[in-house]
Amino acid sequence: MALLKRLYRWVDLRIGASEIVAKELTGYLLPRNINEWYSLGSILLVIFALQVVTGMLLMVYYVPDADKAFKSVTFIMNEVPYGWLIRLCHAVGSNMMVAVLILHMLSTLFMGSYKSPRELNWLTGFILLTLVQGISLTGYLAPWSQLSFWATTVATNSASAIPVIGPYLVEFLRGGKLVGPPTLGRFFALHVSVLPVVIAALIGAHLFILKRTGISTPPFGSSETAKPWRAESYSYQSHPGGIPFFPNYALQDLTSICIYFAIFLAVVFFAPNLPFTPDAFVPADPFKTPAHIKPEWYFLANYQTLKIFPSELLGLSVQAIAMTFLALLPFIDRSPERHPMKRPLFLICTVAGILLWIGLTVWGHFS
Amino acid sequence: MENDGRRKFLGVCLAGATAAAAVAVAYPVVRYLGPKSRQAGAEKLVLSASDVPEGEAKFIEYAGASAVLVKTKTGELIALSAVCTHLGCIVQWVKDQQHFLCPCHGGLFATDGTVLAGPPPRPLAKIPLTLTEGKITIG
Amino acid sequence: MMIKASMRILALPLLPIGALILATMPILHPTEAICAEQPETVCIQCHASLPDKLGAPVNLWRNSIHAENGISCNSCHGGDPKNAAEAMSPSKGFIGVPSETNVPAFCGRCHPGVQKDYLASGHGRALGKGGPTCVTCHGNHQVLKASLDLINEKSCTRCHSFERAKAIKDAMQQTEGYIEGIGRRISGFQATGVDTERLGKGLFAVRNRFHTLFHEVNVARVKTESTQINTELAKLDADLKVIEESHAKRRVAGAIAVSCLLLIALLVHLLRRTYK
Repeated sequence: MALLKRLYRWVDLRIGASEIVAKELTGYLLPRNINEWYSLGSILLVIFALQVVTGMLLMVYYVPDADKAFKSVTFIMNEVPYGWLIRLCHAVGSNMMVAVLILHMLSTLFMGSYKSPRELNWLTGFILLTLVQGISLTGYLAPWSQLSFWATTVATNSASAIPVIGPYLVEFLRGGKLVGPPTLGRFFALHVSVLPVVIAALIGAHLFILKRTGISTPPFGSSETAKPWRAESYSYQSHPGGIPFFPNYALQDLTSICIYFAIFLAVVFFAPNLPFTPDAFVPADPFKTPAHIKPEWYFLANYQTLKIFPSELLGLSVQAIAMTFLALLPFIDRSPERHPMKRPLFLICTVAGILLWIGLTVWGHFS
Repeated sequence: MENDGRRKFLGVCLAGATAAAAVAVAYPVVRYLGPKSRQAGAEKLVLSASDVPEGEAKFIEYAGASAVLVKTKTGELIALSAVCTHLGCIVQWVKDQQHFLCPCHGGLFATDGTVLAGPPPRPLAKIPLTLTEGKITIG
Repeated sequence: MMIKASMRILALPLLPIGALILATMPILHPTEAICAEQPETVCIQCHASLPDKLGAPVNLWRNSIHAENGISCNSCHGGDPKNAAEAMSPSKGFIGVPSETNVPAFCGRCHPGVQKDYLASGHGRALGKGGPTCVTCHGNHQVLKASLDLINEKSCTRCHSFERAKAIKDAMQQTEGYIEGIGRRISGFQATGVDTERLGKGLFAVRNRFHTLFHEVNVARVKTESTQINTELAKLDADLKVIEESHAKRRVAGAIAVSCLLLIALLVHLLRRTYK
């Protein structure tokens, strides 16, 4: 331990580490009434890190060639020691990432943390949501199974409804008229290099903005929850008398992360079929579409919406409008009130929206 | 303070648990990345004696590495590793001279593997072979 | 203030739009149950309205597995299925009703393997001498998917006692159950990513070998073949057990990992509490 202290002092003398620790860790004060939902951000960071690590490990054995991809994944699952574990972590992890991201978004919605002055956080978060959907979509094609191939065909087809550029856009996405080896090439490049880098950069921006603005106070436990933000000059929202991030809230983050891992590993070891259908283990056959091809659960609502509307363009537009509305929420909802129970209209709309999304998802599953 | 004692105890427990978790994570990753475990007895290779004419050398793969089967002008069959003992290049058979030449740094080996010239420090490793009824079994 | 109120109004339509969509969903999207119906052959069109012997086969055929797979009258009897004038013309290949001794060859045009097995069996050797033909057990128009139920007391005792047939049926039922069980386990594993290619091919080969036994009536031969088939199946079973064991080990490791994590979560939580 004395050695560690000496090492710390050596570094401190050169870069002022103790200053950083005092500012960012022990001196970084969080509101006293902070709750567990605030851990979801850290959990997402850990999930992302795990996806990157397992993804890199998978790349050691995976071959992104249409003729060899499926066999390489079978090789990983059956021959490589613990290959099944790495692959399952990556597949389950991607689903978990979307699920936790939705929870993170919902908690932000309910606690009104998207409101001024935190619009930039909400916007970067929204972009991250679309990027995560994109990285999931591109990753889905990698195993080159029947499920991968046809789910990608269905997903890329939806772009054809866009007027004028639609059909060209579909070909651009696919690298050809139909899903094929060029599609795998570009999707793989996006999945392992472009999207992770952009996501990492946006996470950086998201966290930077958070640190500059200051973390929000949960609107619970105090009577005054509608303090309007005065847009006169920049000021960091501090929490004097609050609890230090380190070690207090850091330990809460750690607890939440451990619970997440417990749930995550429970799925990996006891429900390894969850992210897969039997078609996920049949090699892609461009001439044979299997029955009941469906996108992953987080796309089912979009899929069902497109099925409802007689015109694909209308279906896409409705979704575009909904997403735009969500993205611009902090500019639409300007009331300073943050307590969910004191925002009845917001609550009704959000709960209705959630129920609608769940309803469409369930319907999409059974249709 | 009672808290301090509790903190120390929990800290120790956690340190232990984290160390165990770290090992539990590192082990599968190391096994995953490590090379495939070689089987104890490498598979034998069987060839027909007529595959190797006199004065010729046949290069084959044995036990995952390059090997060579040579039939000398006197009719003797020898199996050697074809990996040069200097820096690992694969040797070539020079038919007119009836010896092996390494293209990387000019090492020369005789048909029985001994070093004739050049930088190689050791002779080429011999591989056991048996000849029965016109069939050569290597290994 | 006015801007805020109008912005709030924007949010108002969301609720009724959502409700509207929910309400009209069933109407806007009718069910898509479309049965792939093939156009009826002229044979059916004519014979369906004929009386007695000439019309009866139509309804019998409609319940058959041949009908389910789009195999109509002309597939067996020949003739032109689209042109009523040529429907029963020998120039269009019309064969008509095959004679008793020609029945195996008639069915064997599509089922050659079965024909070979049948002709080699005791039943085949008795063809034309009081022995059964294909249609004796399978029927001629209401041919159902073949199953071991075709070997039953009512059917077999038309010509002889049931004991030998029963022995054969019991042996085959046991093997069939074994094959089905292994097939299910293989599919189960395939759905979790296990490479079942070798096992699947092995089962396919054994299943085909088993199917050639269906028309064998020599009890001793059936018993020996069944024993050999069961040995093959036992090998597949053993391979599957190895996989099952390794998967069970994984689950144990998983249980340990999950419990350890929950323990760590508890310890961290307790540690946090010391800082409150």
